[in-house]
Amino acid sequence: MSIQLLISGISLGAVYALVAVGFAVVFSVMKFSNFAHGGMISACAYAAFYFQRAFTPPPPIYITILFSAAFGVLLSLVIDTIAYRRLRTKQSPNIYYFLASITMSILIVNFLTIFYGKNLYAFPPIFSSTTFHIGSIRFSSMDTLILLISLGILAILVFFIDKTRVGLAIRSVAINPQVSKLMGINPDVTIMTVFAIAGALAGISGVLLAMKLSVYPTLGSQMMIKGFVASVIGGLGSLSGAIIAAIFLGIFEIFLTFYLGSLSTPIVLFGAMLVFLAVRPSGIAGRFAQEKV
Amino acid sequence: MADNIIEIRDMKVKYGVHEAVHGVCMDIAEGAITAIIGSNGAGKTTIINALSGTVRREGEIHYKGKPLTPKAHRVVHEGIVQVPEGRRIFPGLSVEENLLLGAYTIRDRKLIEKLLKDQFRIFPRLEERRKQDAGTLSGGEQQMLAISRGLMSNPRVLMLDEPSLGLAPVIVDDVFKHIQRIRDEGVTVILVEQNAKKSLCTCDYSYVIENGRKVMEGKGQDLLRNDEVNRVYLGADRDCQWDPMQDTPQ
Repeated sequence: MSIQLLISGISLGAVYALVAVGFAVVFSVMKFSNFAHGGMISACAYAAFYFQRAFTPPPPIYITILFSAAFGVLLSLVIDTIAYRRLRTKQSPNIYYFLASITMSILIVNFLTIFYGKNLYAFPPIFSSTTFHIGSIRFSSMDTLILLISLGILAILVFFIDKTRVGLAIRSVAINPQVSKLMGINPDVTIMTVFAIAGALAGISGVLLAMKLSVYPTLGSQMMIKGFVASVIGGLGSLSGAIIAAIFLGIFEIFLTFYLGSLSTPIVLFGAMLVFLAVRPSGIAGRFAQEKV
Repeated sequence: MADNIIEIRDMKVKYGVHEAVHGVCMDIAEGAITAIIGSNGAGKTTIINALSGTVRREGEIHYKGKPLTPKAHRVVHEGIVQVPEGRRIFPGLSVEENLLLGAYTIRDRKLIEKLLKDQFRIFPRLEERRKQDAGTLSGGEQQMLAISRGLMSNPRVLMLDEPSLGLAPVIVDDVFKHIQRIRDEGVTVILVEQNAKKSLCTCDYSYVIENGRKVMEGKGQDLLRNDEVNRVYLGADRDCQWDPMQDTPQ
């Protein structure tokens, strides 16, 4: 039983990690919490849902994921253009970004509610059987698929940020955009790249959450709170910290839900976060997305 | 003297309503060290910031006979790179990553490898510490890293802003030797310094800036012998120009 709980927890945590990382990557560069991320996840979940239903027979799941990721990239760039770009050119203080991102998030959720209502739409099933066995242990097909996809995406992302030229440029802009210019880096392009990455992550996590739960307007915002918690515990702006924190959060949540029930779980979870913040405010990674020198 | 690689004509820089540089004209000779000296707040740094595009400017700058782009990141692609005051290396990134960022404009991996080897040959210290967080280097090492990072873009023109700032005298000598070596390898150097004596000894040509205006120019050796320059910049306290109260980096 506990192995199944563990797999289920890691799988949930891996989705949180996708959300947290999408959040953290924007934070590390822009130094603001992009609350619109939750709205984007919901919008992508709807897009994926309708995409999946538009074809008979439905397209393979990886096509839907690619579609949703592309949709997320587009949406993220549109949000950047209408909500953040002017703030950037005016060099507005962070509080404006904060307001703009919350506004965007609420706007998206309300648009979705107007067009699709508050109903829950169940994502069409992808597997004919919901479980499979390895030896005597029973695994949920969905959880395993979600786990594999999430870990794969996270691995690609970490490789991209740590090992490629563009990833290095992103990290340099995160540390100091002014000096990055002296390296020949165009910070505007880098910031758009970051929003595109966040959008793709929102798209992928949107599909996975839709498959795991179902599709409804506040799907993303709810998950984003968990992602936000993970990225704060991980040390805002630190990708590896966010991933580790998210996976622990997922495991923690599944076990708590199993033993305490789903009502008490959030209380313990958020209580634990308060304690964690008091004990180690810089997060697991130990450094609060280093302030500009 | 060789041709001018950069020609600055009637350049003005304003910070809000306050004009920091009032119509400066300068020629930068190719393959030479041009020093810009003057006291703190004279506008020296503003001049090279205007060249590198990090501040908005009026007037004309011609580079290799064509108008120079005002966009900072494009300037680097054109071959003009600035090593900023206070070094401004990227803490949290390794020494090697800092150097690779310097080579951001270069796509040719073989050339990057070669440039990296060159830097490690000149500054073996950097090779020893290539995997180390650049923020943990000493001030002198950070300055070497900042210069190397500038050279990693394989520039035509290297602009150094106060490279001796905050460094121990022995290391300052070292830095100036490296500047001459860089020139000897064919890179045009623009040097902004408060350490007037060292700069004049090192440079081929120099401009003296006061209150945002060019007040004097000439060959380094000539200015060294000039009474006015001697009195104002190389005076009694010629060995104490490094005043920690004035020069603490922001």
